[in-house]
Amino acid sequence: MTAILSNTQLRDLGSTPRKLTAGLPPATVLLSFAVVLVVILWSLVPGLFTSLSPVTGDTASKLAAPSAAHWFGTDYLGRDQYARVVHGTASSVTSALVAVLIGLVIGSIIGLASGFRGGWVDAVLGRFVDVLLAIPGFLLAVVIVSSLGFQTINAAIATGVSAVAVFARLMRAEVMRVRGATYVEASYLQGGNRLHALLGHVLPNAYRSVLVLAVLQFGTSILIIASLAFLGYGDPPPASDWGLLVASGKTYVTAPWLVYAPALVIVITVLSVNRISRWLRNAK
Amino acid sequence: MTGDYRRFALTRAGQAIVVVLLAYVFTFLIISVLPGDAITNTLRDPQHGLSEEDIQRIVAFYGLDQPVIVQLLLSLGRFLTGELGFSLQSNLPVSQIVGDALPSTLTLATTALLIAIIFAVAIAYGAQYLPGKWAAIVRSIPSFFLSVPNFVIGLILIEFFAFRLHSFTTTDPHSPVATLFAAITLAIPVSAPLAEVLIASLDHESRQEYALVARSRGLSEARLFAKHLVKPSALPSVAMVALIVGELLGGSVITETIFGRDGIGTVVQKAVTGEDQPVLQAVVSLSAVVFVAVNLVADLASPLLDPRVKLRETKLKEKVGA
Repeated sequence: MTAILSNTQLRDLGSTPRKLTAGLPPATVLLSFAVVLVVILWSLVPGLFTSLSPVTGDTASKLAAPSAAHWFGTDYLGRDQYARVVHGTASSVTSALVAVLIGLVIGSIIGLASGFRGGWVDAVLGRFVDVLLAIPGFLLAVVIVSSLGFQTINAAIATGVSAVAVFARLMRAEVMRVRGATYVEASYLQGGNRLHALLGHVLPNAYRSVLVLAVLQFGTSILIIASLAFLGYGDPPPASDWGLLVASGKTYVTAPWLVYAPALVIVITVLSVNRISRWLRNAK
Repeated sequence: MTGDYRRFALTRAGQAIVVVLLAYVFTFLIISVLPGDAITNTLRDPQHGLSEEDIQRIVAFYGLDQPVIVQLLLSLGRFLTGELGFSLQSNLPVSQIVGDALPSTLTLATTALLIAIIFAVAIAYGAQYLPGKWAAIVRSIPSFFLSVPNFVIGLILIEFFAFRLHSFTTTDPHSPVATLFAAITLAIPVSAPLAEVLIASLDHESRQEYALVARSRGLSEARLFAKHLVKPSALPSVAMVALIVGELLGGSVITETIFGRDGIGTVVQKAVTGEDQPVLQAVVSLSAVVFVAVNLVADLASPLLDPRVKLRETKLKEKVGA
C-alpha cells in the first residue's frame, strides 16, 4: 500500500497532465471494468456462469425466493432467474453495441461531410441533424421500432438512429476545430489532400472525444433498449432481455426479486459504463 | 442592436419552421415505409368494427390508393391548416384524442420539470457547500440518476409508497399524490443533466474574482449563492431546460404506462400496438413543434438574459452539449 502511494506521489512530481496510461486508475474505475468484463463474458459464454436452462424450469419450485441454488430466485414457471439474466445478456448488450455502431458510423459520416464540405452540404445535413434532435429521442425510437416490427434487432436500429445526431454534431465540431489548425494548412501546402487531412489529422484528434461519447452512448443505449423491451417492443418471451425480465416480473408482487435482480444488473452495468466514460473524459 | 436582434429573431423563427416541416416529412416517411399493407390491415381488423363505407371514406381521405408522395402532400397540407385526421382504431378525430390526453400529460410534465429543477438546485447546492466527503457523494448523484431506468424508479416508488406505505393507490392514478410520484419518476433522470450544468456553472462562478470580493466583504455563502452565483448560471440552465422538454415527452410513455395514467404516452402506446398511423404522426410532429418552440423561446431569450451572448452563436446545434 505504501509502495503504491509513494509511487503515485513520485509521478505527481512530474506535474505533467495525467496520461491515460500513467499509474492505476481509481478503484471505482477498476471495479467498473471488472463489471463490464463479467457482462461481456455473460454474453459470450453464458454456459460458463450457469448450468441451468433459461427456458425450461422446474414448476415444483416456482416463485422461490433467492437461495444458494437460485441466486436470483425462480419465476412463475420455476425457471432460474439468474440463468435468465445471464442468457438475456447477449441480446441486451449486443443490441446496445449495434445501436452505438449505427450512431457512430452514420453520425460520423454526416459530421465529416458537413465539416469538410461546408456550404450547402453543411446546410442540408445540418437541418437533417436538427430534425433528428427535434423529435424526442425515445419517441423517435418507438416510432421506428413500431414501423420496422417488434424485434430486439429493430429496437437496436431504432436506438442507433436516435443517436446519430449527437455523433454527427461532435464529429462536425471536431472537424471544424482541426480544419483551421496551422499544421493542417501546412499539410495542404505540402501537397496533402483532404483524405490525408482526414486520416492523418482529424480522426486521430477526434478519436478521444468520440470514444468518450461512444462509451457514454453505450450505457444510454442499454437503458433505451431495456425500456423498449419493457414496453414489449423487443423479442417476445421466452427471450429474456433485461427490460423484458423486469416487465414480466412486475406481475408477481409476492416475488419482488424477479424485478429487483434484473433491474440491479441494468443499473450496475450502466453505472459502470458511465464511470468508465467519465474517467476517459477526465484523464487527458 | 435592436435591428440585429430582429434579424436574429426572424432567422431563428424561420429555421424553426423549416425544422418542424422537415420533422413532419421525416416522421411520415418512417411511418409509411411500414412493411406490408398495415393501414388496410388495421382498417379491416374486425375488432375496430368499421363498415365498408367507413373504410372507403378513410382510404379516400388519406389518398391511400395513391403514391406515397401524394399522400405526403395531402397529409402535410392538412397539418399546415391544423387538421390532424382521424384515428384508424376509433375513427375519432386525432385532435380530439390528443386534446383529451393533453391535460394529464401537461400536469405530469410540468410537475416533473419543477421537481427536476428543485432536485438539480439541491444537488448543485450540496455539491458546492457540503463538507468534502459529502460533496463528493452529492457530485456522483447525477451520474447515478442517469444509470437507473425510468421504469425501475417507477416500480420501486409504487412498491414502497403504494403497496407498503399506502400513500396512494394505483387504482386512482390521477390523484394528486399518485401524480406527484409519477412526476418524481419522470423527474429523476431529467434532473441529472440539469444538475451537471448547474454544478459546472457554479464551480466556474465561485472561482471568479467577484465572488472572492463578495466573500472578503463578509457576505455569507448562502447570500452569495442566492444573490450572485445563481444569476450567471441561469443562462446555461435555461438552455438545458429547453432541451429537457424532449426527454419529458419521451419519458412520459414509460411513466404513464407504469402508473396506469391516461395521457399522451398511453395514446402513443395504443397507437403503436394498433398501428394507428395518423395518431402516431400527429403526436410525434406535435412533440417536435413543442420542442422546437420551447428552444426557440430559450434562444430568443438568451441575449436578453445575458447581453454578452453573441447573436450568431446560439444555434440549436451548438447548444446540445456532448
